[in-house]
Formats: sequence, C-alpha cells, structure tokens
Amino acid sequence: MRMRFGATTIGLIAAAVAVIICLAVLPGVGQQARNTNPFPAYRPPRMADGHPDLNGIWQALVFSANWDLQDHDAQPGPRPEIMGAYGAGPAGQSIVEGGEIPYKPEALAKKKANFEKRMTVDVSDDKKWHATGDPELKCYMPGVPRATYMPFPFQIVQGSSPYILMAYEFTSATRTIRMNSTQESPTDSWMGWSRGRWEGDTLVVDVTGLREETWFDRAGDYHSDALHVVERYTPVSPYHMMYEATIEDPNVYTRPWKISFPLYRRMEKNVQLLEFKCVPFTEDMLYGRFRKQSSN
Amino acid sequence: MSHRLWISTGVLAIAIAAAVPSIITGQAPAPAAKRTAAANKKSAVPHTPWGDPDLQGVWNDATSTPLQRPTTIGQKDVLSTENEAEGFEEQLANDLNRDRRDGGAEVDVNRAYNEHWMDSRRLKITADRRTSLIVDPPDGRIPPLVPLSPERQKIRADQAASAARFNAGLPLYAQDFSLPVRCIIRTDSPPYLPTIYNNDFQIFQGPGYVTIVPEMIHSPRIIPLDGRPHIGKNLKQWLGDTRGHFEGETLVIETTNFRTDPGVVYQGANPATYKITERFTRVDADTINYEFTVEDPMTWTKPWTARIPWTKIDPKEQQYEYACHEDNYDIVHLLSGARLREKKGEVK
Amino acid sequence: MVVLVILAAVPVFAHHAFASEFDANKPVKFKGTVTKMEWINPHAWIHVNVKKPDGTVEEWMIEAGTPNTLLRRGFTKQSLLPGTEVVVDGYQSKDGSLRANGRDITLPNGQTLFLGNAVPDAPYQDKSK
Repeated sequence: MRMRFGATTIGLIAAAVAVIICLAVLPGVGQQARNTNPFPAYRPPRMADGHPDLNGIWQALVFSANWDLQDHDAQPGPRPEIMGAYGAGPAGQSIVEGGEIPYKPEALAKKKANFEKRMTVDVSDDKKWHATGDPELKCYMPGVPRATYMPFPFQIVQGSSPYILMAYEFTSATRTIRMNSTQESPTDSWMGWSRGRWEGDTLVVDVTGLREETWFDRAGDYHSDALHVVERYTPVSPYHMMYEATIEDPNVYTRPWKISFPLYRRMEKNVQLLEFKCVPFTEDMLYGRFRKQSSN
Repeated sequence: MSHRLWISTGVLAIAIAAAVPSIITGQAPAPAAKRTAAANKKSAVPHTPWGDPDLQGVWNDATSTPLQRPTTIGQKDVLSTENEAEGFEEQLANDLNRDRRDGGAEVDVNRAYNEHWMDSRRLKITADRRTSLIVDPPDGRIPPLVPLSPERQKIRADQAASAARFNAGLPLYAQDFSLPVRCIIRTDSPPYLPTIYNNDFQIFQGPGYVTIVPEMIHSPRIIPLDGRPHIGKNLKQWLGDTRGHFEGETLVIETTNFRTDPGVVYQGANPATYKITERFTRVDADTINYEFTVEDPMTWTKPWTARIPWTKIDPKEQQYEYACHEDNYDIVHLLSGARLREKKGEVK
Repeated sequence: MVVLVILAAVPVFAHHAFASEFDANKPVKFKGTVTKMEWINPHAWIHVNVKKPDGTVEEWMIEAGTPNTLLRRGFTKQSLLPGTEVVVDGYQSKDGSLRANGRDITLPNGQTLFLGNAVPDAPYQDKSK
C-alpha cells in the first residue's frame, strides 16, 4: 500500500521539525535549568587539517584561583604591614568541581605546612632548595594547570606541524604539545610532558612527568611526582574556550578531581604577550644572604 | 488554509532553522592568504596551508666554523679543496675537543667534562666550507670599533672586572654574574649563535605568526607578520620586540626595544643606536639559512653580517625543556664558596 | 700542521667557566656508589657515596653537563640508577666542599658513562667517535 501524505500533514511535520531545530540551537529556550554549557552550539573555524583553530592570546579571569583554588575570602596576603592593599588577595569561588579538593587526611598536613612556609626561602643547602616556599614566589615555572589560571595571558601557536606551542607570559614559560605521540616522558620537567589529541572539537592534553615541586596555588595546594593531569580545551564561541583539567595523584588525593573555567580571547587591538622575566625580581630574596658585606 | 501555504510555511521554517546556527556562530579573526596556491606550487620551498614559506620543525645550528676568519687563513673565504676543508675541520675539531687531557690542570678544569656531553655537530664546519660565519665585510671579521665614549668605556671596564671576579670564583653578589649565569638570557638572545650544546631551535607557525623557541632558555620570540607597529618606545625587553614579514621566500625580522642593561645587545653595543635584522630562508628540505646583520655606528665602523646554516634534525630527536633558574645551584655554590674562602682568609 | 688562531663561534659570555668554581690544584679521583642522579639544568648532578679507608662515608656531588644532550641520545632518568659503582676523575670545589666536576666518569671496568647512544637506533650519532 502506497503511503500518501496530504499537503497539510507535510506542512505540519515540517513546522514541527523547524520548531525542534530552533529549540536545539537557540540559547536557553526550554533548557535553562539543565544546561551546564551557557553557550549556544558553536562550530569554530578550522585549520587545514579540519581541527579547530585555537590560535590566539587567551587569559583566565578566575585568576583569584592562583591565590586559592577553593572558596576563599579576601585576605591581607603575606607581609601586610609593608604591602597593605597592594599585597592583598581577592575573594574567589572554588573552581574545583564539587568545591573541595579530596585530600587524603594525612596529606592535608603538608598543605598546611606549605602555606605556613610559603614565604620561607632557603637555598643555602642544595638538598633543601625546594623544601619550602611557593615556587611562584621564586619565579619558577608554574607547571600545569597553574600556568593556565595565573593573572597573565598565554598564546597558542598552532600550525601544520605535529606540535602545538603554548607560550605563557609568566617567566616566558613554554610547553610543547606533542600531537598524537605515544612517547613517554624521559625525565621530569617544570612544565611537564604534554601529549595531545583531538576528540571532536576538544583538544585533549595528557600531561605527565611534572616536577613534584610545583604548587597549584599560593594556598599550598600540592601534589607528588605521581601527578597526572588531563586538560580539555573546547572552543565555545569566537571569544571563549572552556578549559577543564582532571587532576589525579593517588599519593595525595582519595580520587581524581576536576577544575573548570572559561578562557577568554584577548581582543585588544595589537595585543601581544609582553615579558615577565621575574628572575631579577627574586635574586636579592634568594641570594642576598651571600652578598659580600663590604660591597654596595 | 490552502495546502500550498502549509508546505511553503513548513519549508520556510526549516530554511530559517537551518540558517540559525550560522547566524549565531561568529567568525574569529580569519587570516588572509598571502599567496595563491598556484604561486606556491611553482616554488621549491614548501608552504604552510595558509601560504607562508614553511619553516616549521626543530633545527640545529652547531658548527665549528668560527664567527671570524682566522688570521692565518688570509683572505680565503671558502676552502676550495676537500683536503683543505678536511685539514681546517680537523684542526678546529682538535682544538674544541673536550676529551683532550693535555695543557695542564688549569686548562683541563675548564674543559669541564667529556665530549659526549657536548653537541658533536659543533665539530663540523659548514657544508659550504666557508672559513668564517661572517660573510660581510669580505674579510670575514667584525669591523673595528669606533672610539667609545668614556661612559661606554666604563661600562666595558665594569663588565671586565665582573668577569675577572667570576673567573677567580669571587663574585660579589648575584647581579655580579653575567646574564647567562643568572639564567636571564642565553642562546635566546639575538643574534642566534652556535654554542657548545643544546643548539636547537623549534619554529612554530600559525596564520599571521612565526614563533622561534630556542632551547636555552625556552623563551619564545612570537613574531607578528601583520605589519603592526612595534610596542611603544618606553617599553624595553630583554629579547626586544620583533616584527616580521616575508620577502619572497625569506622571513625578515627586525627587533627593537631592547633593555639597556649591559649584556643585552650584542657585544656591548649601544642600545639606543643598535639595529639587528635577521633573515630566515628555507633553502631545501633540511636547511634554513639564518643570516643576521648587526649595525651600530656608535660601536662598529660599519654593519656586519653572518650566515649560519640551520639543519633540520631527525624527528626522533627533540627539543627538551631547559629550565635554568629553577635549579641553578651554581649561583649559591659560587657565592657561598667565595664568602667561605674570604672568611677563612684564603682570599680577600 | 697549520696552527689556526681560532676565534670560535661560541659567544662571548662565560657560560660557566669551570675554573671559577673548581680548583686546578685539587684534582680528585675516587670510586663511589651512585645514590641519586639529578636530571636537571643547567647542570646534571650525580650524587656519589665514597667509602673512606676508615670506614666513614663521604657524600660527594659531581657536576656534569646538560641532560638534554643525553636525552637526545636515548638516555633517560632510568639510565643511571642508584647503586651503580662509578669512578670519578675531576677537580674539587675551591671552597673545599665535597663537590667536584665530573671531568671523566667511568664504570669500574673503564667504560665511560653515557658514551654512545642508549639505544642502537637512537638518531643522534656521536660523530666525534
């Protein structure tokens, strides 16, 4: 039996399909309560290989997370008697999914010790160079994911080679994302060993081989040499990229945990990374005790 | 309603619905293709998909060919025979080899450690057998200095005094060391010159940018190609500020806005009048010719130019992270060692 | 043989003149056991325990080159493990501390440490040999 649809039926079905399509793409309509992604569906411009073009200068606005990943009030900061409001830190809401970092109870003591000694710098003994003091304070490369939410821009240079460059303004730190690589990290490094691949329009970066001395923030949040980070970069508008990092370290946490926040494209005309070579800002702090006393 | 109207309404609705996503999807800044695909095809140089000459990859610049032509070779700019070239190369390799144990203890200490910690490619002369990296002036040597002002002479004298204290192991404070020892700049400061190890540069390109990352000390030069002006003249950087453009197949870059600290611009030149232009030309699958011209009428009687071939390295070799300041124990050893020796009365 | 006046391409700055830190008048040569190797820049450090005739143990730190050169030849942090016996030939630190540069580091059988490539097909061939 041949099916026949009357004109009216065809029109009604078409209109219904159209409404469904509109509901799917228009923001918020009928979906506000459930939708965790506030952006409408977006198809980013592509590189010649068909993958999204992530080139550009990006920066996080949740830089208060560099003070403390978790919920925190505004604070006077270290040495308020000298620094006043200059040295104070803003309040911030946790960028950790679920709010809290799932430390093992015995691992929390080290976080507390880190924080208490965040300004204690002692390089007189090689064995204790990294025992105390926030590495950021000393102008050491911040590692991953901290580099992403520091209050400095970074630039992604993506071309037609098997490598993507991420260049951070803070201490001119760089990291190379080795695309579709199976090579293991031959040794530890401050910015880690990054291997990338595409999952749809998301750049997934697997980071291992991170130096255990890096911290996640100025609150003393830390990890061991077993740290494994998986980042996800997803363009969600011409001006935003969603960033997510899953952090895993069975020595320190009871389970993996996640942070997420948007990255914003810097749009100023002729914007570029400038230099923040902070080594000269730390030399007196690190080495002043070894200065020849009779010298000026 | 008539059946035709229903169909039209439905089809129109679908058409609108299909258009909605592209209305919402904006366009991020799109690069302009500078060359036609046809023009690129004619050239022997590979090009990126967006039309720029392709310089991407990891490149090594190690060589034993000296910057300046040795005085004993006379005016010979290129060695004409295999034998000549071999002899020249052999002599250089012998002089540079770190496994030699002759010359006494003073010389031996400075050889530091075995040859295999070094880049062995630095024992080879350039493939074109030149006797110097400098190609202009024709005598292959840095032009003479102009008379320096008393202020400039004092800066040089101060630097020499710092170096003498360093060599004696008696630095006064951290800032008494050279910029490389302090881990502020090393090979990443232009002009790029071959050194004893880690002679590699990774070039990344994206639409509108070329970025050069030397291994030591990991600082990128991110070079916009869109013709934007340099940063304001009151902004000064350790690596300056670079702008580039392609002239045919050659990337030409100019760098300004250098800091005025001693040791930033090349060989104690005068930052205010110093100019450096660098050129990168991919000459074949495995070679980039890197050329730099340096000029400063307050320092040299004329500009001078050097050319250094960069060779593509095996993809299995890579550039690795070179953190420097993070584990720079030597600074503490040298400073605390000096203070200890002074305390013990061994030195003043 | 023509003696060339070599004006090498090595830049003017003193990367690290070893004579600034280590004393030509204090050569050392001893056998010890590796306790740790720090694969760091600007210099790798090999920690060696040296047993003295009286039975006490001295902890020495031996300064070596950049590990990046080794990584490119296929060596990794697994290539020198604690417990390995080595012979160190070098010069001691000017201030008398238990530090020396590793002028020549060998295994007891005379084989030089980190010579050649870690794996036969490692791309970087040491052309000086």
